[in-house]
Amino acid sequence: MVAEMTSKERVLAMLDKKPVDRVPVITGSTMVKEYIEKSGSVWPDYHSNAEMMVNTVSLMHTDAGLDNIVMPFGMFIESIALGLEVKMGRIDIQPSVRSFFNKPEEVKYDNFLEDKFVKTTIDAIKLSKEKFPDAAITAFLVAPVTLAGDLMGAENLSVLSIKCLQKEKQMQKMHEWIDVALEINKIYAEACVEAGADVLYYSDASASPNLVMPEFYYEVGVPAEKELGDFVHNLGCPWELHICGDTTPIIEGMASTGANGLSVEQAVKMSEVTKIAGEVPVAGNITPLLMVEGTEEQITGAVRDALDGGAKASMLGCGTPPLSTSDRLKTWVKAVADWSAEKL
Amino acid sequence: MDDLPEEVQGIIEELDEAAEDEDEDAIEELTQKLLDTGADVETITLKKLALLVMDGEEEMTQGWTRVAIQIGLDPFKTLIEGLATGMSLIGKKYENGEAFVPQLLIASNAMYGGMDLLAPLMKRDENSGSKPATVVIGTVEGDVHDIGKSLVKTLLSANGFNCVDLGNDVPASRFIEAAKESKATAISMSTLMTTTMAEMPRVLKMLSDEGIRDKVMVMVGGAPITTEYASQIGADVSPHDAASAANWLKAAVFDFPPESVRWG
Repeated sequence: MVAEMTSKERVLAMLDKKPVDRVPVITGSTMVKEYIEKSGSVWPDYHSNAEMMVNTVSLMHTDAGLDNIVMPFGMFIESIALGLEVKMGRIDIQPSVRSFFNKPEEVKYDNFLEDKFVKTTIDAIKLSKEKFPDAAITAFLVAPVTLAGDLMGAENLSVLSIKCLQKEKQMQKMHEWIDVALEINKIYAEACVEAGADVLYYSDASASPNLVMPEFYYEVGVPAEKELGDFVHNLGCPWELHICGDTTPIIEGMASTGANGLSVEQAVKMSEVTKIAGEVPVAGNITPLLMVEGTEEQITGAVRDALDGGAKASMLGCGTPPLSTSDRLKTWVKAVADWSAEKL
Repeated sequence: MDDLPEEVQGIIEELDEAAEDEDEDAIEELTQKLLDTGADVETITLKKLALLVMDGEEEMTQGWTRVAIQIGLDPFKTLIEGLATGMSLIGKKYENGEAFVPQLLIASNAMYGGMDLLAPLMKRDENSGSKPATVVIGTVEGDVHDIGKSLVKTLLSANGFNCVDLGNDVPASRFIEAAKESKATAISMSTLMTTTMAEMPRVLKMLSDEGIRDKVMVMVGGAPITTEYASQIGADVSPHDAASAANWLKAAVFDFPPESVRWG
């Protein structure tokens, strides 16, 4: 029996493959409308106001009972800071990147850390670390393949991902994009860790087999993620890796990146991926929509399926939907606690 | 192609190279040389086009489309029996889990590369054939993911549908306007994100409010969309992927009243 832990201790122990008092409940993106309204935050200010950001995202911890506090809200910070066009969405729609660069040389990142959205993330990490020392403060960042895709456009990434496997010249081109993405990743990672982030949560959504070939992921994605992950480890921080879609064909590669934890979505069978991932803890894979319209029975069932399948942390398969309700989030946390009391 | 005489095979290889190098003069010269052998150049060209589209060879597809034009192949036959056949072949492989999205994308680029060359020739025949059914297609508001939607569009086009592509981040009202303007047979909505799924029932409600729900079939698709969700919001179908969408609509359109009956 493990003595009661704080949320931060629980998450870090799980990532360190150590015993926990109960399975941690963690999340990726957290732009929940109900919490935005409850905290008095205002769209779109909460994307660029650290205090509003922390007031909103911390409710996932203080009200719903999750173990981590995650910022920023979406996967657009890197792109907007580099000068790409971003549509800010609505209170219930996340911002989205609308433009891309034609050549890697066009990407200028000397003043990356001066951007107001990047600064907001950094300030929010500092503030939440100060206000909530017992929670696992987590920076939500875009991983290299996805960032390269944002820089060159997702469709171009998909096409280049197959062409680069066929022609060396195209592979060089791909590496030029990935190298720029990695440089930006490292600048941002260092700033987040210096600000006090306990965990870096990387989403490599565009490395999904739904968008690029698994061969490409193994040849280009894995080395890039590993390079970034090693850099993060040298900073003394653990990191998690999320990839969307059915990641079964690439889970072995994900596990080889050195990530402290893997996050998978509902398209995979948990028992199958935990077997392939071996020692590396896997988090997931509750259907996000259940937080919007799921019944207690459905939520509890999904939680138990994932944990019975070997998940070491309970997580939604993708980001928390903006229309999630606090009562369903609490049902989720309770279901994990009940399972832990019964089975740990 | 392996059973062709050696001389013919040699010329085909040379044509492949000329097509890859985009050397139009060499393509013209070699096409004539191929015709001079007495081989069935029409069949060879259609087979080549299908295979090149399937493999996503854009430059070579364009080169062999030039061959098709030079030998006077009917542009519709070139499209349907050559380019679109290649797209269907890769679509089937995708359905069977033997191909991935990037392969569909490069095949789609190759098909459109060939279609660009055929388009000016096809316009002349615009009024001679029957009018293709129109599908209004787009990614719902709040979602900028284009790839899945574009693949559905490609496969619908390859199967003879006229697609009105509204792009991504499309407000609900725009689907309704476009359906009315084009007297559409179907509306195809896509989203990759759980966060924007709620836009789909909004479009369906607007169709009902406008009294035109029975004039169009509604297809919904994208990673988070299930058959149950489609039926719950009153859509007609949620095909598993782009190829299934085209196959479903091709069959469904036969049992659907014609445009003149629906739209008057």
